[in-house]
Amino acid sequence: MSDTALQPGGYILPEYEFTAPGDLTADEVRRYPVVIVGAGLSGLALACDLAERGVATVVLDDDNTIGVRGASSRGIVYAQKTLEMMDRLGIYERIRAKGVVWSVGKTLAGSEVVYEFDASSTSDSRQPPFINLQQFYLEWFMVDRVIEIGRTDLRWKSKVVGFETLADGARIEVETPAGRYVLEADWVCDCSGVNSFIRDCLRLDTHQARGIDRWCISDVRFKEPLPIERWTWVEAPFNDNRAVWQHLMADDVWRLDFQMGPETDIEHVSRPEVAAERVRRQLGEDVEFELVWVGPYSYRAQLIDNFRAGRTLFLGDSAHAMSPFGARGGNSGIQDADNLGWKLALVLSGRAPEALLDSYSAERRPAAQFNIMTTRRTARFLQPESPAEKLLRDAAISLAKEHPFARSLCNTGRLSNSYIYGQPPTSRAQRHKVRGVAVGEAVQNVPVGLPDGQAGTLVDLFRNGPAFVGIWSGALPALAAAVIRLANREAPVLRMLELGRAALGLSVLEDPAGKLGAALGAARGKPIFWLLRPDMHLAARIENPDAAKVSRALRGALHGRLQPERA
Amino acid sequence: MKTELNFTDHDAFYERLIAAHHGLDEAQSAQLNARLLLLLANQVGDGAVLAECVDAARRLFGPYSPPEA
Repeated sequence: MSDTALQPGGYILPEYEFTAPGDLTADEVRRYPVVIVGAGLSGLALACDLAERGVATVVLDDDNTIGVRGASSRGIVYAQKTLEMMDRLGIYERIRAKGVVWSVGKTLAGSEVVYEFDASSTSDSRQPPFINLQQFYLEWFMVDRVIEIGRTDLRWKSKVVGFETLADGARIEVETPAGRYVLEADWVCDCSGVNSFIRDCLRLDTHQARGIDRWCISDVRFKEPLPIERWTWVEAPFNDNRAVWQHLMADDVWRLDFQMGPETDIEHVSRPEVAAERVRRQLGEDVEFELVWVGPYSYRAQLIDNFRAGRTLFLGDSAHAMSPFGARGGNSGIQDADNLGWKLALVLSGRAPEALLDSYSAERRPAAQFNIMTTRRTARFLQPESPAEKLLRDAAISLAKEHPFARSLCNTGRLSNSYIYGQPPTSRAQRHKVRGVAVGEAVQNVPVGLPDGQAGTLVDLFRNGPAFVGIWSGALPALAAAVIRLANREAPVLRMLELGRAALGLSVLEDPAGKLGAALGAARGKPIFWLLRPDMHLAARIENPDAAKVSRALRGALHGRLQPERA
Repeated sequence: MKTELNFTDHDAFYERLIAAHHGLDEAQSAQLNARLLLLLANQVGDGAVLAECVDAARRLFGPYSPPEA
């Protein structure tokens, strides 16, 4: 398979063959443990995650390619938490090789920079804060990976046309080039996107709010060297003082997003000659460029009330959609899969009760709500809806040129961090007072010395299998016998290690750079135990731990409970 | 939100505020007020106090729906 998707005049996407499944000719309806509907970012991430954990799935997709046929780059910015998951799934190196690493962002008004940040300074992860990559490449890498692992039954050209809930699963009717068939699933994961057929069959309210924002997206290739930074104009002189985004993606293609007026005829402004004229105004008369793709985009927000409906789970845009500011669209769908994969694997293996799956919605829905709120604020800043709003924005921009505080008010997107589960977003602002990660927060993929003596990163402890990782620090040797008994009993779901020094007889995790200790909030001489979930979020932090306390925390985590923050 | 007098010199503030508007047209005055509002809000800082102030200012014009947090 070629690794070059770019051809003059557009992207050439790989095509996958439809293979007639045995279901078409079988005498009886076949039943599968997990059926994933939709091979987009969230569906493929889930299939890949489950495959890594040893779980076979059937994936149904109505198309025979990745991306949207003939469509553009779409989601382009992948955030650190997403990249860390991709490291675990074994495709980070391909993303790193193909994508564009960046950390500096600038917000401009006219020709002046009013706000600037460098996200690299706060990161100890093996992964950078952001990598830009056309969405279809990421999907492509995930398809290759699930094929390589070999546990996923990818069914292209397979459109869901009927859906019926059963007491213990669902019955799905599928339309294919070779005819229709019916299959049954114990669990259905609906990753079919914003217009989900299954969600609408179940009559789930999406509470839709259509935005007035209209954008014209242009993928453009040109030779002019520009800085590899995220530039966002609140008011771009070359776009009638509306917003513009400028970002570099793979294959030396720039993504230029132009905000349009609410009354714009979006089809007209997306015509190649009209788009080319806009790009010429931005780049100047003498810069040669080539339009790779142009298309319109209008935003909407929607959110269902519960991401679980019995045996059906909703991920990505079928559960939540928002204006895609700040790497919150595709990333949130992928992080849905990061949250659900290990839970589903544990429930399927009988090691955790079904109740664990309720925590999927309880954790991911607030994350989606937070994204919707955050992107709504950005959208409103970029598109004032009244003269009063415009007046306030003008004031913020003019002050930003003089005073640091006002630079923060110029909102062209708040870049996503991984969500802290179990805490109201308001308490996140006060987080800096707590030492180390909070319960519910993800630990970054920091460098560690692995038990086998190899240098690695935290993610390496989480490859394969649905296992929690427990880390002891400063433990008293007197606990050793009880801890070893616990380690043996819980081995299938919990892998326990000691940080830096062997006192209990467990394998030792070295922390040569002190990054893990700093991330966890370890304190010299203080006995602490950390329970990390398979998605690398902290499930519990126990001071003066013993085997009984650890066992209780693990039971709680298997029921989807986070241990409340210590007093 | 403080509702009792908190200025070190309220008459001097008021006079200076008026003076700052001198010679400005309506649009410029509105811009000055908006800039001043944001500068002052940053001095207050506290979200709960600011929300109370916004609500108190709005009271003259009837209820409104604050955004969902």
